[in-house]
Amino acid sequence: MLLNFERLGAWKWILLVITGLTAAFLILPIVFIAALSFGSSQWLIFPPPSWTLQWYKAFLADPRWLEAAWTSFRIAAVVTVLSVLIGLVASFGLVRGRFIGKEALRALFLTPMILPVVVLAVALYAFFLRIGLNGTTTGFVIAHLVVALPFSILSMTNALEGFDKSIEDAAVLCGAHPLEAKIRVTLPAISHGLFSAAVFSFLTSWDEVVLAIFMASPTLQTLPVKIWTTLRQDLTPVIAAASTLLVIVTIALMLLAALVRKGLKS
Amino acid sequence: MTEPFLQIRGLRKDYGIVNAVSDVNITVERGEFMTFLGPSGSGKSTTLYILAGFENPTAGDILLNGESLISTPSHKRNIGMVFQRYTLFPHLSVGENIAFPLKVRRWGKAAIDAKVQAMLRLVRLEGFEDRKPAQMSGGQQQRVALARALAYDPPVLLMDEPLSALDKKLREEIQHEIRRIHQETEVTILYVTHDQEEALRLSDRIAVFSKGVIDQIGTGPELYANPATRFVASFIGDSDFVTCEIVSARDGRADLSIGSGGAIAGVPVHGTAVDGGMAALMLRPERLSLSRISTGAGTTGLSARVNDITFLGSSIHVAASAPSGETLSVRLPFGHEAAAGLSRGDTVFIGFDPASAHVFCG
Repeated sequence: MLLNFERLGAWKWILLVITGLTAAFLILPIVFIAALSFGSSQWLIFPPPSWTLQWYKAFLADPRWLEAAWTSFRIAAVVTVLSVLIGLVASFGLVRGRFIGKEALRALFLTPMILPVVVLAVALYAFFLRIGLNGTTTGFVIAHLVVALPFSILSMTNALEGFDKSIEDAAVLCGAHPLEAKIRVTLPAISHGLFSAAVFSFLTSWDEVVLAIFMASPTLQTLPVKIWTTLRQDLTPVIAAASTLLVIVTIALMLLAALVRKGLKS
Repeated sequence: MTEPFLQIRGLRKDYGIVNAVSDVNITVERGEFMTFLGPSGSGKSTTLYILAGFENPTAGDILLNGESLISTPSHKRNIGMVFQRYTLFPHLSVGENIAFPLKVRRWGKAAIDAKVQAMLRLVRLEGFEDRKPAQMSGGQQQRVALARALAYDPPVLLMDEPLSALDKKLREEIQHEIRRIHQETEVTILYVTHDQEEALRLSDRIAVFSKGVIDQIGTGPELYANPATRFVASFIGDSDFVTCEIVSARDGRADLSIGSGGAIAGVPVHGTAVDGGMAALMLRPERLSLSRISTGAGTTGLSARVNDITFLGSSIHVAASAPSGETLSVRLPFGHEAAAGLSRGDTVFIGFDPASAHVFCG
């Protein structure tokens, strides 16, 4: 290796400090919010005077918060299923297909990743106004699908490119219909890609706020939108509790993904 | 008259304007081990892939027991295949891999279990059924692939360079296994390789592919003794070529002259010989004799200067240059008197039997 960490001498400590500071910069706001959500102060005083679960109780007792959480989950679940299905079909086309403009099409599929989300949000908002999809679950799902698909396609094209097509050919010569061979051999072999696609699609929708603000109506709000609108009206520690729950679901999913990836490898 | 078992007729495959194979005609007997031998890009794999149904031919037909296979999709051809790369299903155990084609065919559980055990015995991997492919060596994986491809008793087994990913020692070991399994199962095998030694070791007959056409089909000894083209001569066994001039040619034999040397009479000639035209004389190193002086009248040969002497254990390899500058190799058995005291720069006479040489025109 070009750079050997053990042999860096004094640089080693400098690197460690930089790494530590970066990690703290990234993690501290989350820790801070989580701490505040258990604090007794109604004005979000830090450090909290004493500890309490009352903001979580308030969250669970308020049907508007629960509905927002349920809406988030519902939309994320539908987006996950559609994103994996569409992404899978698209990935087969992009990896196996032989047609002109394949690379251009692949780049096009990934543009929502680089495009400013707010531009996408304004465009979708204007378009959905015309066809009456604003404030509907369908509108939400379509908007989130647009930003979730690139992640899905990226992880599945990677998995599919790493899969030797000869293995599928072998299954076909064994007597399996090409579709059966894909379902019984190719999909299990690229299951890690499918799984990453599902997790990333879910998370993309779950904590997305920009598109959601444009798509939301007073009666249909996702959890991030509800946090945002509540924050604009009054500063209550319930927001901290809701944010903490949002983060917990995200971390849990990431951990699950890491565990599954480890399990698949061994 | 009985129908030949497997017939490939006038097969042709074009990719756009590029021709991959053309005019491939092969008849294979039941139980035969036929090898497609040729360098990469010679069309041997393309022919195999058309047989497997992964490619559609541009023209031509494939008949199995007199019936055309062309319109049958791959999964209904009931053909077995072992691939160049490892193609075991990674998420399934060895036993499940072998059972896969049987499950697809809706066999009963008891029949599947019995067949899996029988196939494991055939490839000598009893007790390995619960292993995952990743836990097996490359050689073991190819043996499982062979067991899987033979589990449903296909009439034809295709093998696409199945040993090319293995090291030499393992390759020879599995070549033995393949021969034994061929004899035990009596399955018809079409085998693709670029390795002439492998082809000679395994095959009943060899089809030599070059630039998309078959140069010659025959047994190993036939190809070695009577190569139809210069390519076959250079691909099967060792050979050197010396430029010569055709003095006269008739009835498949030619009289030649090499440089300013004397005439050589009665060499088997291939291709269209034109009197006075240039041609290539093919000589096999092990068919040449070497002496210090011309053994006189009646011996055909040419004089050459020794360039290099290499000791190779059981044989001694002498490289010498002909007057034209072309290099000739002579292989002498160890201890041969002609090699004693031979040193670089010596002028020697290299003799051969005109009937064992070949001259290729065009």
